[in-house]
Amino acid sequence: MAKKPRRFAIVIDSKKCINCKACNVACRAQNNVPLAHSRNWMNEETRGTFPKLLAAFEPEQCHHCEHPACVRVCPTGASYQRPDGIVAINDSDCVGCRYCVIACPYDARFFREDRGVVEKCDLCARRIDRGEVPACVETCPGKVRTFGDSNDANGQVAQLLATRQYRVKKAEAGTGPQLYYLL
Amino acid sequence: MNRRRFLTFAAGGAASATLASTVSCLQPFLKKPATVSTRQDIPTTCEMCVNKCSIIAVVENGKIQKLNPNPESPRSRGMVCARGNAGLQQVYDPSRLKKPLIRAGARGEGKWKTASWDEAWNFAGEKLTKVKEKYGPQASVWSSTESFAETFFKSLGLAFGSPNVERHPTLCLASVNLAYSLTFGTMPSFDLANARYVIMSGANRLESFIMPDTVDLIGSTTERKTRLVYLDPRFTVTASKADEWFPIKPGTDLAFVLAMLNVIIGENRHDKEFVAGYTAGFDKLAEHVKAFTPEWAETETEIHAKDITRIAREFADAAPRAVYYAGRRSSWYREDFQFRRAQAILNAVVGNWDRQGGMAPNAKIALGEFLFLPWDDPQAARVDDMDKNFPLAAKGDGAYLKMRENILAGIPYPVKAWMVHKQDPMNALPEQAKTIRMIEQMDFVGVIDVQMSDTAWYADVVFPESTYLERQDPVEMLPGIVPVVVYRQPAIPPLHDTKPTLEIVQGLAKRLGLSQYFDYTIDQWIDAQVKVLPLDTPLEYLKHHGVWAPPDGAKFGATLTQDHRFVTKSGKIELYSERLQEAGYDPMPVYHTPMQPPAGSFRLILGRRAYFTQANTTNNPWLNTFAPENVLWIHPASAAQVGIEDGQLVDVSSSVGALHLKARVTQEIRPDCVFTMHGYGKRSKWQRLVAGNGASDAEIIETAWDKVSGGGAFHETFVKVRKA
Repeated sequence: MAKKPRRFAIVIDSKKCINCKACNVACRAQNNVPLAHSRNWMNEETRGTFPKLLAAFEPEQCHHCEHPACVRVCPTGASYQRPDGIVAINDSDCVGCRYCVIACPYDARFFREDRGVVEKCDLCARRIDRGEVPACVETCPGKVRTFGDSNDANGQVAQLLATRQYRVKKAEAGTGPQLYYLL
Repeated sequence: MNRRRFLTFAAGGAASATLASTVSCLQPFLKKPATVSTRQDIPTTCEMCVNKCSIIAVVENGKIQKLNPNPESPRSRGMVCARGNAGLQQVYDPSRLKKPLIRAGARGEGKWKTASWDEAWNFAGEKLTKVKEKYGPQASVWSSTESFAETFFKSLGLAFGSPNVERHPTLCLASVNLAYSLTFGTMPSFDLANARYVIMSGANRLESFIMPDTVDLIGSTTERKTRLVYLDPRFTVTASKADEWFPIKPGTDLAFVLAMLNVIIGENRHDKEFVAGYTAGFDKLAEHVKAFTPEWAETETEIHAKDITRIAREFADAAPRAVYYAGRRSSWYREDFQFRRAQAILNAVVGNWDRQGGMAPNAKIALGEFLFLPWDDPQAARVDDMDKNFPLAAKGDGAYLKMRENILAGIPYPVKAWMVHKQDPMNALPEQAKTIRMIEQMDFVGVIDVQMSDTAWYADVVFPESTYLERQDPVEMLPGIVPVVVYRQPAIPPLHDTKPTLEIVQGLAKRLGLSQYFDYTIDQWIDAQVKVLPLDTPLEYLKHHGVWAPPDGAKFGATLTQDHRFVTKSGKIELYSERLQEAGYDPMPVYHTPMQPPAGSFRLILGRRAYFTQANTTNNPWLNTFAPENVLWIHPASAAQVGIEDGQLVDVSSSVGALHLKARVTQEIRPDCVFTMHGYGKRSKWQRLVAGNGASDAEIIETAWDKVSGGGAFHETFVKVRKA
């Protein structure tokens, strides 16, 4: 049987997240993200009345969708999907029209004023191409994110998806998100 | 000193090369061919907090691009926290210290003239010499905090003739260290990776400080089904992840521990074999804790007696894989020592000593020592008179607050010079007005730092140290369940006219006529340290790997032999301490009900977020963005009572000062407490993000200390809150 192409995905175990922001700063350093923006972010929620309280933290970033809406709306082809599933932006082709910012169901994209282009998480493609894992994955104290090839049946990502219950965000948007949140 | 050689090896060595080949299929998708030729991966050691994690600095075209975790370190568990990642900003901070500075205006006015190193050394040398001639060498205090090169700075103070080396522990963990030392003869580590039942009092390990224990606890609580019981007046991240959170009444944790002892011993659930074999004073302890019933503790702690009883039983059942975790910053209450000692005793009676999943004495790796010319020991007594005030405490560390009281009172002698190495006493000490008074009565204040701290802002001369990514430091051994040796080498040469501590000290020593004691280079020092390691070429190894750990990993039980002698008076684990009794303290922990805030007042409690644990990273732009200013947490009922609303500016006042903060009305705190974060409201204008932004808790915390260790008691302040 022919080997399936790689399909990168991230499985997130939010239970392990302590909202320490290491992933946010690692990403900022790795990708020179300006302070006004972030390529990854935390969803935080605290509920209840003292002393019965509940807090939940959940990291999020570009979902690197199977059918990315951002790519479909891009008039110049600057937004594209690599064969390994990474949704990336070719800076030199981006005209800054921001259709993609609106199209993204996850609000994962932002317009970078200083360069006139749109930016977002590219799963640290440069690092991946060197054989490293994304900066947010590597730096995490709790190893909340598991990164890998979901087509590799023996890989950690496929194993987790096969053995654990999970959800994806906004499945109804129909974009086939590749960030999987373990339940 | 010789120019340092930089270590060059492409793309992380053999391991990465192998990985890279496995993804060669990706090469066609690259826009440009990979240019890795200028990349250097330099393994070194973080200095953004005291945990000293191993990192790899990725340097491209002479600029540090990224700090990655070094997976080789068993200590740092393959992670770099937010603060570690933000280390780049310390190096490339445009407002960091770049040249020596000499004060040109009034103290604290912020007028500086840049100076050459010779000018700065000459200036400081003359001032220090004058103080020595007029008042004697003891008229100087040498303040330092934990860092690899601290030894050189401390040595300069001692060689100068001052007994007053003042370290940080009495602002931090002095009480917990002393309590465990007097019980077990040493301060152990806690094996959170293997524990199955963990109790924490306020030691907010998942939020306040990211360290190996944090990583272990995340795994334990999520994957290994460890039960976590957490006591804290505030709903922290650790509280949110705990199986049970009890918002205990502040200052009553000792009652909780005594009641646990009451249940465990009363129900015969202690480890009888261990207690008989290794401890002293059990019968006295059993008698002592009879009075401290869970029902009694309920009235003190506001935790139900049935919960205390159940937790005590569960804890004893889970032992030896059960720990009452000690935590780090233990500067809370005047009675802090006894609370920490009760924890130590509780751990002892369930027999978790030197057992997997329990506590373990720290293993060590012997490093060699460079033989330098010894100086005569300082003649005078310490200004904080440790022998009289805190006879059992660690003398070499001093007692910070007692020192300040004595200096302000001029007893037992005048102190007129203050040298500070990478500490910020202006923010670390409570009652900032007193610290300013102490500075004002000094003839000379000199500061060594990488940034213009508030203390540097009030100094006469500021020596800029090279940042940790620009310098080589002495090798350090980090004791632990698995000890490691870590090495710090420069990732880039210094960007500015800065120097490492040894060179700053040597320049000063020359002006003070003390050069003979510092007649060596950092390379000679390091060679002497590493040559005893069981490696063929130890320094080369450390330059390539940044860290070395002995291959044998964690071992438990070496002290569990009948002939093992604990470093205590009896040679056993001391449940009853004769040394405490002889020194005039309670030989077993006695509970005193803490004072409660009067109506309309609140207890100010402190706590940390790991990106700001100490006061020195609030100005880091990558971290400041998470909390640009500090706010006052207050419970809705309390806010209503004093008539304030969320977001409103409020006046927070204690007996020693007042400040303005925005209120954060939240369910996440007890109604009798208020809380704010540390490290804001800086006076130093060079800390532009936090200068005048928020307020410094140091301005309102009252001066109080633990009776036994001399450690600060920072949770003893009651404040009034009203609309500003």
